[in-house]
Amino acid sequence: MSGELDLEQRYRRVLRLLPRYYRDQWEEDMVAAFLDGWLTGDPDEDSVTMEYDRPTRGEIVSVIGLAARLRLGGTGAPRRYFAWGQAVRNAVLGVMLAHAVWGLSQLALFARSRHLIGWLPPPPGGFWPTLGYAIGYAWVVVFVALVVVEYRTARVGAVLVVGATVASVVHQQLAGTLASPAVTWAYTAVIDVGPVLAMAAFHRDAPPVRRWPWLLALPAWYLLVSVPVLAAELSGHSAWVPDVAGRCCLLLSLVCLFQAARVWSGRAGRGVGSLTLLLLAAVTGFYRVITLPIFAHDPHLIMVGLAELLILAVAAALVVPDAVRSQTAAPASPAYQELG
Amino acid sequence: MTGQAFFVLTALADGPRHGYGIVREVVELSQGRVKLKIGSLYGVLDRLSADGLIEPDHEEAHDGRLRRYYRLTAGGRRALAEEADLRAASAHVVRARLGLTGPEAAGAAG
Repeated sequence: MSGELDLEQRYRRVLRLLPRYYRDQWEEDMVAAFLDGWLTGDPDEDSVTMEYDRPTRGEIVSVIGLAARLRLGGTGAPRRYFAWGQAVRNAVLGVMLAHAVWGLSQLALFARSRHLIGWLPPPPGGFWPTLGYAIGYAWVVVFVALVVVEYRTARVGAVLVVGATVASVVHQQLAGTLASPAVTWAYTAVIDVGPVLAMAAFHRDAPPVRRWPWLLALPAWYLLVSVPVLAAELSGHSAWVPDVAGRCCLLLSLVCLFQAARVWSGRAGRGVGSLTLLLLAAVTGFYRVITLPIFAHDPHLIMVGLAELLILAVAAALVVPDAVRSQTAAPASPAYQELG
Repeated sequence: MTGQAFFVLTALADGPRHGYGIVREVVELSQGRVKLKIGSLYGVLDRLSADGLIEPDHEEAHDGRLRRYYRLTAGGRRALAEEADLRAASAHVVRARLGLTGPEAAGAAG
C-alpha cells in the first residue's frame, strides 16, 4: 500500500519511469541528491519528513521529462530507445502531414471565398467556421515548422491549434450541433492531442528531420489524393470514393506493402520504418473504428469500413517481423542517422 | 550550451561537488533564477558526462547513502571558458547597442 511507503520509496517508485539501463547508472545518486534536499539532520524532523512527505509535482514532472527524453531516444541512445524515438517522431510527422493536407484543403475553400476558384462551393461565414479554417492553416505551419526543425514554433503552434480545436468542439457540443460527441472527443484526444504530446520526442538529442521527402510529401498527397477526390465529389461521381478514414487506411496499407517489399528485397533499414508504420496503423485503425458508427444506418458501408480495417491489419502484419527487428538488431552508432 | 549546463559546469569550476551540492551552488550562482529539479539535474549531468565534460571524482558515505562527487574534465574546463567568452562577447555587443559601454557611458554612470 502506498500509505506504508516512506519518502525514499515513493521517489524510487517515480524513478521506475526511467529506463533500466539509466537507473542502473544513476538511481542511487538521484535518490541521495533528492533526500539531501529534504533531510535536515534532525532525527525527529527527518522521521516525520520520511513518513509523511511526498515528491513534489515539480520533481515528478522533471523525472517524466527525463523519462520521455530517454525512452524516445535521440543520438547516442541505446539502439532500442533510439528506434522508438525515431518511430514516434516519424509517426508524429505522418499525422501532422495528414493534418496539413486537410489544411491545404481549407486553403482551397478560402480561395473560393475570395472568388479565386469558381467551381468550389463557398465556405460558410461566422466566427466558428472561420476558426475552423484558421486551425487548418495552422496545421500546415506546424508541420512545416517540425520539418525545418523549428521545434519551439511547432510546439507553440500545435498547442494553440489543439486549444482552438477543443474550444470549437465544446462550442458545438453546447450548441447541440455535434452529431457524435463520443466520436469527436475520441478523435480529438487520439488524432489531435496525442500526437501533440508525442512531439516531446523532438528534443535536443533528436537527429534532424530529412526535410525534402517530408516537404514533397505534402503537395504530393494533396495533388495525387485530395484533388482527385475533390474533383470526383464535385462531379457527382463520389459514390466509390472512401471517406477520409477509409482513404487513410488504404493509403497506409499501400505504404505498408511497399515497405514489406523493401524488407523482402533486403533494402529496408533497421526496422525503424516498419515500427513507424505500425504506430501509424494503430492510430489509423483507431480512427477507422471510431468513425464506423457514423454508418450505422447503412450495413453496406459498415462492411466497406470493416474491409478497409482488414486490409490495413493484413498489410501492417507484413511489417511486424521487421519492426520487431528494430528492438533486437545489433547496436549501431546512430550519430549520423536522420529521420526516415 | 544550455543555461542549465552552463551553470552546472560553473558550479564544478572550483572543485568537485555532489548532486545536491550542485543544485545549491547553481541557485546561488544564478541568484535564485535557476532552481534545478533532480530529474533535470541528472539529465544535464548525463549529457555532460556523455560529452566528456565532467566525470565522477569520488564517493562519500553520508547518512548511510553514497554521495557521488563530480569534477570538470580538462575538456569541460575548456568548454566552459569558451562559453563564458561567448556570453561575455554577446553581452558586450548588447551593452554597446544600448550605449552602456565606453567613456561616455562610464561618465553618465558616474
